[in-house]
Amino acid sequence: MKTDSVPMKKCRKFLGHGIPHVKIDDLAGKLIVIEGADGSGRSTQIARLVEWLETCGHATVPVGLKRSTLVSSELEKAQEGNILSRTTLSLFYATDFADQLENIILPALKAGFIVLADRYIYTLMARDMVRGMDEAWLKNLYGIALEPDAVFYLSLEPEELVQRNLSKSATLDYWESGMDLGLSRDMFDSFVKYQAAMQAAFRRLQKTYNFTIVDANRSVDSVTKQLRKEIRALLGEE
Amino acid sequence: MKTFAELNFPGRLIAVEGLDGSGKSTQIYLLKRWLEAEGIKVYFSSWNSSELVKSATSKGKKRELLTPTTFSLIHATDFADRYERHLLPLLRAGYIVLCDRYVFTAFARDVTRGCPPDWVRGIYNFAAKPDLTMFFKTELEVSLNRILEGRPKLKFFEAGMDLRLSSDPYESFRIFQGRILEQYMAMSGEFNFVVMDANQPVEQQQKLVRKLVGEKIDLSKFKRRSPLPLPPAFPPDPAKEAEEDMAA
Repeated sequence: MKTDSVPMKKCRKFLGHGIPHVKIDDLAGKLIVIEGADGSGRSTQIARLVEWLETCGHATVPVGLKRSTLVSSELEKAQEGNILSRTTLSLFYATDFADQLENIILPALKAGFIVLADRYIYTLMARDMVRGMDEAWLKNLYGIALEPDAVFYLSLEPEELVQRNLSKSATLDYWESGMDLGLSRDMFDSFVKYQAAMQAAFRRLQKTYNFTIVDANRSVDSVTKQLRKEIRALLGEE
Repeated sequence: MKTFAELNFPGRLIAVEGLDGSGKSTQIYLLKRWLEAEGIKVYFSSWNSSELVKSATSKGKKRELLTPTTFSLIHATDFADRYERHLLPLLRAGYIVLCDRYVFTAFARDVTRGCPPDWVRGIYNFAAKPDLTMFFKTELEVSLNRILEGRPKLKFFEAGMDLRLSSDPYESFRIFQGRILEQYMAMSGEFNFVVMDANQPVEQQQKLVRKLVGEKIDLSKFKRRSPLPLPPAFPPDPAKEAEEDMAA
């Protein structure tokens, strides 16, 4: 039957209480999230998607972590000194997220834009879970977030991630290596252990939040092809 | 929500709450002076004072960037920073910690701004309950007049202008403070507030504050072992120091 090919329209909702006074039915655009560790090809894929979507005539808006007007510079400074305890860091990131949600994501969706999020609350939750924060606490905190129309998690084995990071910059990032956790004094070891823990946290989250796991251990083109296919279906442009 | 005593912390936390202009800051300052004079290990922490977070908060306030949600989260970040880096270690070390405003300020303000009560409470659920919470209650008009007389220029968020209650800052402030007072009173029983009559003279209130604190907390247990940290007159004697360490 013809009607079968029409993609199911997902009901727009917040993950919890949401933001006070927002009319959810006005949010006509699409929120597409790309998750994945540094080195999973996130930025490359997002750049390609933006180009493709704009060529197709869609207006896009990029968002990402630690990019808010309100707290991004303070958050950056605090991280350099590594003086934040875990609840503080968690709430600082949540503030950064909320600021972008209210000032960029929601207005853009209202205007019918496609919002491409370079990471979303799932990375923040996974990082905190690995650091032993209470899951129920996190779920309540991020009840403010809008449920995305699609979430793609670019999955790559930690051993491959470490190779990609080193070939790119010949160094491993302190936070992406989870050095604050004291898993190992050896940065290489710590990176691999931390990324494995992050991956486990993502798989746990996937059960609740239902996102698409994309095998990123392939050529850039083949990942792009899959993403485009899924997004075309989402936009009803098949 | 358990108190620090119930959680077996050696230290104790005393919080004061109340509207702006209720005189609570004066009372907790005088309490601090008394405890210091008694040679007690005491630390004072005020709301919204974390070095780390303050610049973001003041930028947000000055440029009117804050929404009810970010207002709530940035204050929670500030509180968490003070709680984890100062309050908890001090309470572990047996200090009496005095807080000018505690989580109840957030419960009252953020909910007045439209944040869901259980969301706000959930965020702050890492914080233990004070061993004593004194709520300084004045007639609304009295606290309004104290503020409005002394500081005629009201700040945007302080006056609750973000709630669009009135285009007149004074009128907005009145309505906003009234609503906050309602929130406070609604949670008073749940969190065992000791309601203080803040219409009384300063001295009389302070007398009562000291009496309450003395009854609630065995202050003799919180004295500093040596009253003043004097520099050593002689090179330290390692044998004696080891003995003292053992005793501690």
